[in-house]
Amino acid sequence: MPRRIVWCVAQKKTLGSASQLVVGNGIELESKLSDPMGNKRRILCYADRWMLANPVVDILRLRISSLEETQRRFSRTILIADAVDRWLPHGGLSAGCIHEVKGTTLANAIAFSAILSSRLAGDQGNVLYISSDRSLHPLGLLPYGVKLNQMLHVSARRHADLAWAVMEALRCSQVSSVIALLDGLDLTESRRLQLAAEASGATGFLLGHAASAPIASPITRWRVSSAIGKSGERFDGPLWDLDLLYCRGGSPGKWTVEWRDHKLNAIPTQQINLATGEALAG
Amino acid sequence: MARCFLSIYCPDIVSDRLTRLVEWCDRYSPLVAQDGCNGIILDITGCAHLFGGEGPLLLDLQRRLHRMGIESHGAIADTWGAAWALARYGGSFIVHGENTRAALDPLPVEALRLPNEIVLELRRLGLVTIAALRKIPRNSLSVRFGSTLLRRLDQALDQAADPLTPWRSPAAYRTSRILAEPVSTVGSVEYVLHDLLKEICTQLEKNHLGSRRMDLVCYRVDGTVDRCEVRTSKPNRAISHLMRLFSGRLEKLWADFGFETFVLSVQDVEALHPTQLSLSPFETTGEEESFDLLVDRLGMRLGFAAVNRIRVLESYLPEHAVELRPAAASTLASAEWPAYRVRPIRLIDPPMPIQVSILIPGGSPVQFLIEQKQHRIVRSEGPERLTTEWWREPSSRYGTRDYYRIEDDKGFRFWIFCDQFEHWFLHGHFA
Repeated sequence: MPRRIVWCVAQKKTLGSASQLVVGNGIELESKLSDPMGNKRRILCYADRWMLANPVVDILRLRISSLEETQRRFSRTILIADAVDRWLPHGGLSAGCIHEVKGTTLANAIAFSAILSSRLAGDQGNVLYISSDRSLHPLGLLPYGVKLNQMLHVSARRHADLAWAVMEALRCSQVSSVIALLDGLDLTESRRLQLAAEASGATGFLLGHAASAPIASPITRWRVSSAIGKSGERFDGPLWDLDLLYCRGGSPGKWTVEWRDHKLNAIPTQQINLATGEALAG
Repeated sequence: MARCFLSIYCPDIVSDRLTRLVEWCDRYSPLVAQDGCNGIILDITGCAHLFGGEGPLLLDLQRRLHRMGIESHGAIADTWGAAWALARYGGSFIVHGENTRAALDPLPVEALRLPNEIVLELRRLGLVTIAALRKIPRNSLSVRFGSTLLRRLDQALDQAADPLTPWRSPAAYRTSRILAEPVSTVGSVEYVLHDLLKEICTQLEKNHLGSRRMDLVCYRVDGTVDRCEVRTSKPNRAISHLMRLFSGRLEKLWADFGFETFVLSVQDVEALHPTQLSLSPFETTGEEESFDLLVDRLGMRLGFAAVNRIRVLESYLPEHAVELRPAAASTLASAEWPAYRVRPIRLIDPPMPIQVSILIPGGSPVQFLIEQKQHRIVRSEGPERLTTEWWREPSSRYGTRDYYRIEDDKGFRFWIFCDQFEHWFLHGHFA
């Protein structure tokens, strides 16, 4: 097993400069540094799996990423499940971004994004559900921790109205997350959504059927499919095969998770690095 | 206080043009009504000074109508009846107080807005002018002609009530700007609108009110009218908020040759009490507003019926358990849903008929067919029996339903039910 190396970069006004090399398991390294203005800045942590070989390239990568990504995107994350969070580049799913969730059934995609949304919203945030039909049964979301009084159900028939509504919702800083049944976005549209989300801090989950065309540039793309091989007669929370098909700044992954006791538990299976095909432990 | 009516008579006007003209006349007074098939009546009480007096107002109105190519006669008097008579048969245009009688006397009896048969009858009797009519004792008039004639006479002479029903009820708050030169760019309309909003919002703030519905009416040079309306989910009087709501609408205005007059009115007001400003720099009150603004903007474009809050109702039947209630409407208490009743995430409406095979009668299903595709059931839970609610008519279609949660061999989960008549339906999808 290769040793995990974590690069820490202090985000300063200047380019992010690689300052420290920490070897260990910790991903959530908190900042103890202050910038010249005396403000505490969070140190960006990069758990590294794919950049083991060349430190020079790594530093360059980090510099570039600190240029193009906003501070906000790193600062807030949504925790999914332990094993998944460790895999993701920022120790969790970044908030204030556009994520695409594909489901073998739409119900799977809705449930998965509802879990993440309710974690993000907490007691205060507003969650918007935007779609062109009214097939959602809100009571079905209750087991996933969604508070219905925080939800706003928006329906729009035309694609243009739908995209506009998602855009407006993502622009509002009072919105914690937007769950939208919206596909067929072109590069410009999805980029605009991403910029709106970055500016306001709202997180967008764009849902679609597994067979539908992927949107152009999400930060992550997930596929949630019902897993087979459950044991027992009881009708528990759903068991999902969670595929991370695409992850900006990270690599694809695959897990089997189960929703039980208001938690997503990853069921240990061998993880395969889809890019290289080699097996990676934990 | 003496009232003041302006009657306009346009002998050859088409009816749809007249309706538009009535709308256009809003610029002079909020109380405007169509008067017959070729006239308009305006209650200009207290409005004349805005145009420099009654004379200039009448002159301005007629000059504009003339420019539109409409031939018109206008008169101002204390009563609707007198103004009507003078506009059509009179020589003088502005008559008040004691002069009314003198001005009306020489006019023919037709000037009293009488039905044709009464006019013919009067003429047959040799009563041609109003003066001659007034000399006859009232008793004999009422015996011969009924109450209509006397009522019309009294109304003309300000002795009987003559209510006017305006084509649109006047707004409680209304302000207008008449520009020296017509404008046609969005920027300049915005400028005027900002000015109008400032005036209205100051008035609203003084009275602790907020607007729910605002209406901006823009009068084009050629006498046509364009309008845009703004609704809000909560009473509001913040200029920036209202400006943002208007901004999307202003682009859709069609200026044509330019707008020359703008009237902003508040159609619905609701109480809005001032809030205490916070001294603490950490509490920002603007946050709450930004979400309201989002709701308003979504509602303005998609319709307020499309932006909903979710309310749980006191019913176990899935189609009646949840109400989507417009976010703009007042919130009602939501019921508590018992956690042990698990519901699917998506509901199929109406339920889809399926074929189900059962091994033992009354037992749980083992496999089912949806659109010729076979699903083998590996796990099922149920039944959950939902009985009809007698006070609902449509729900009795299926009678008592037995619901099962099932999972097929591919891991998909469904919500199916068996109705009273042993028919099976697919009603929802679980995650």
